[in-house]
Amino acid sequence: MSEENTIKDGANLSRREFLGTVTAGVAAAGVAAACVPFVSSMNPSSDVLAKATTEIDLSGIAPGEEKTFPWQGKPVFVVHRTPEEIAAMAASKGGKDPEPDAKRVQKPEWLVVIGICTHLGCVPNKTESGWLCPCHGSVYDNSGRIISGPAPRNLDLPPYHFVAENKILIGKA
Amino acid sequence: MNKIIAWVDQRFPLTFFIKHELTDYPTPRNLSYWWGFGFLAGFVLVIQIVTGIFLAMHYKPDSNLAFDSVQHIMREVNYGWLIRYLHSTGASAFFAVIYTHMARTLYYGSYRRPRELLWWTGQGLLLLMMATAFMGYLLPWGQMSYWGATVITNLFKATPVYGDQIVTWLRGGFAVDDPTLTRFFSLHYLFPFLIFAAVAIHLVALHTVRSSNPSGINLADKDNIPFHPYFTIKDLFGLGIFMIVYLLIVFFKPDLFIDAANNIPANPMQTPADIVPEWYFLPFYAILRSVPDLAGGVVAMAISVLIFAAMPYLDRSRVTGGARYRPIYRAMFYIFVIDIFVLGYVGAHPPAGTLKMVGEVCTAIYFLTFLLLPFVSRWEEKFVLARGLPPAVEAMARKEIAEAEGNV
Amino acid sequence: MSNNKLFGLIFCLMFSAGSAQADEAQLKRGAHVAVEVCNTCHSLKYLKYSDFLKLGFSKAEVDAMRGTKGMADPLISQMAPADELAMFSTVPPDLSLMAKARDGGANYIYAMITGFYTDAKGQTANHVFPGIKMPDVFMIAQADAAGRQGIEQKARDVSAFLEWASDPQAEERKTLGRYVIGYFVFLTVLLYFLKKKIWKRLD
Ligand code: HEM
Ligand code: FES
Repeated sequence: MSEENTIKDGANLSRREFLGTVTAGVAAAGVAAACVPFVSSMNPSSDVLAKATTEIDLSGIAPGEEKTFPWQGKPVFVVHRTPEEIAAMAASKGGKDPEPDAKRVQKPEWLVVIGICTHLGCVPNKTESGWLCPCHGSVYDNSGRIISGPAPRNLDLPPYHFVAENKILIGKA
Repeated sequence: MNKIIAWVDQRFPLTFFIKHELTDYPTPRNLSYWWGFGFLAGFVLVIQIVTGIFLAMHYKPDSNLAFDSVQHIMREVNYGWLIRYLHSTGASAFFAVIYTHMARTLYYGSYRRPRELLWWTGQGLLLLMMATAFMGYLLPWGQMSYWGATVITNLFKATPVYGDQIVTWLRGGFAVDDPTLTRFFSLHYLFPFLIFAAVAIHLVALHTVRSSNPSGINLADKDNIPFHPYFTIKDLFGLGIFMIVYLLIVFFKPDLFIDAANNIPANPMQTPADIVPEWYFLPFYAILRSVPDLAGGVVAMAISVLIFAAMPYLDRSRVTGGARYRPIYRAMFYIFVIDIFVLGYVGAHPPAGTLKMVGEVCTAIYFLTFLLLPFVSRWEEKFVLARGLPPAVEAMARKEIAEAEGNV
Repeated sequence: MSNNKLFGLIFCLMFSAGSAQADEAQLKRGAHVAVEVCNTCHSLKYLKYSDFLKLGFSKAEVDAMRGTKGMADPLISQMAPADELAMFSTVPPDLSLMAKARDGGANYIYAMITGFYTDAKGQTANHVFPGIKMPDVFMIAQADAAGRQGIEQKARDVSAFLEWASDPQAEERKTLGRYVIGYFVFLTVLLYFLKKKIWKRLD
């Protein structure tokens, strides 16, 4: 085989490899792009997103009473706190995740928290002094702050705002 | 990387498998694009399974919810419209590809010895596909879904003695209803995986007997080339063309294969004006209607699908290469293809007047093609041998004839 | 095989595909007709009031259209089905998919609502749908030439709107489709040249 031929073959080979690499790259990008709609289809659909906010009428909740409302499929605890409870909570800083009560409420008589234990997601039960989680014994106070047990954080606060004196809209700050 | 492969190879024949089935697998170099349709069919099967699994995440197999859940997919699920249109168009694409694949086999005589088993697994695949598509069509629970399922399940009435019981058993009720929908969904989910397994068997059979080729003769070693990279790239190019056509329909004409009446929720109290099956069932449906008697029609339709399995025995010619060297067989092939298209047209329209007669004539031609083949093929064999053939083809034919006569 | 011809055909298909851009002003007029006229008797249950935002209506305009109904509420008929059954002896069908559910789509709807006339016996009848139980809502049978024109415009608007309502993703679909087809044409051209290159080795 002459030298010239070898060189030509070499050039051909690298051109083919270049074309092959580009084609493979374009195809791989296509496969990746094709995954997008499928992955996206598993995200909440538009009707689920539309239910992202829930309006709650507070007028039926007596002082000292707690009620649970579903929001985005999760329980939200709404507590109408008594003046004694408000005073006790304002005086305390909570447990391992200290936070002033004032930062956790918009109006002191209304505590609104997501009713999901920050440990592994069980729904705590109401007690006199707050909540007790049935799963692994986490104890929360009447500001939803973690007092004892394995839970790492205070109960989360949902975004909400008062749309009227006695009405809140959960889902939007 | 090499170490990992070596580790696996000691425990599982990975490299052997890749070499044997892909990089070293000898493939006739003269295969045309008609040989690419098998690969396409496999690809469409994957599209159907993937889109189907994602549809099933949002679909509700309950007669009160099914129709709404499809609209939920179309309007609210992210890209739900895309996934549904890929699936509904994919069903048609699947049949288009498979029918072409079968036509290739018939034209080139690829069903002949030694490929009988390959051909029969293909026949089984066709039946499974038909069942899958038929059950899938009920799921959107539109008027066509409902009445299509009603008519087709009623065909089993033709069973002697137990007809009515079988129909009731199939439906889980006295009419197509919620139990029917739920079981069709269950089976529609299952069958594609049976198809997948059957494809594996189909491929094992293929790699045992190897691909046929347009010349009809066994090629010398120098004419065989490794499947990879030559046919991987050829098939992928074919796939690119296929995807362009398929996606043009999905994005720009997605309702092409969805009957208008299927956008009306199923109503068991009212049958739509003209009910027609999906296009891929039309020729068989026309045969069903061309026989005036229920049982006769059902039997004729069943035979029209199943008779392909007999091809290796009906075609008694020993001249290889299919239609290529056989002018009469070639003519019969083209007449048969035209006949099927005409039957399809007849199946799509109400059976009245001339059209009814056309349907009957075409049904007769359909069956006559198969019935005459054993005689015509033998006569044709003598004719073409006398007229002269390329030496290699003639040698093969004479050898096969001699072997057959030696056995007698 | 003549690949060039094939590509030519595909390109033609591609650019003829999905022309007819929806006219937003017309769709908005049609939406008003649908809400104010059709929706008194027919539901459009697969549409929500919030879907009107996609048509370019402002939030205030949609608020006016929905009255006391919620933004995420479907467009349910303003008459109860039982009352409708008593009045028309049938429940008017849902309209959200009507343009897909009839052969002819929007054209069928247009022809039907403008197809009312007064027959020889002085009864209102319909050219497209004999025996229709729906009343001549625009009273086109009695209209003079000028009145007819206005009604025909309304009918065109509402038919266009119903076509949109039956397939609200059409625009998104066609836009995405152009990219996807463009991508596959590009990839297929690459595959074509790669195939030629690879098969050259055999020469
Ligand atoms: C052999 C492969 C398949 C074929 C030929 C096929 C065929 C069909 C057909 C003709 C329809 C009705 C389309 C319509 O008008 O909307 C359908 C619907 C459906 N199929 Fe399949 N299918 C296949 C595989 C699958 C698989 C593997 C799954 C699930 C894992 C699946 C799940 C569904 C669902 C949920 C529907 C109802 C949604 C709809 O109507 O769009 N399919 N199928
Ligand atoms: S989940 Fe509440 S304590 Fe573990």
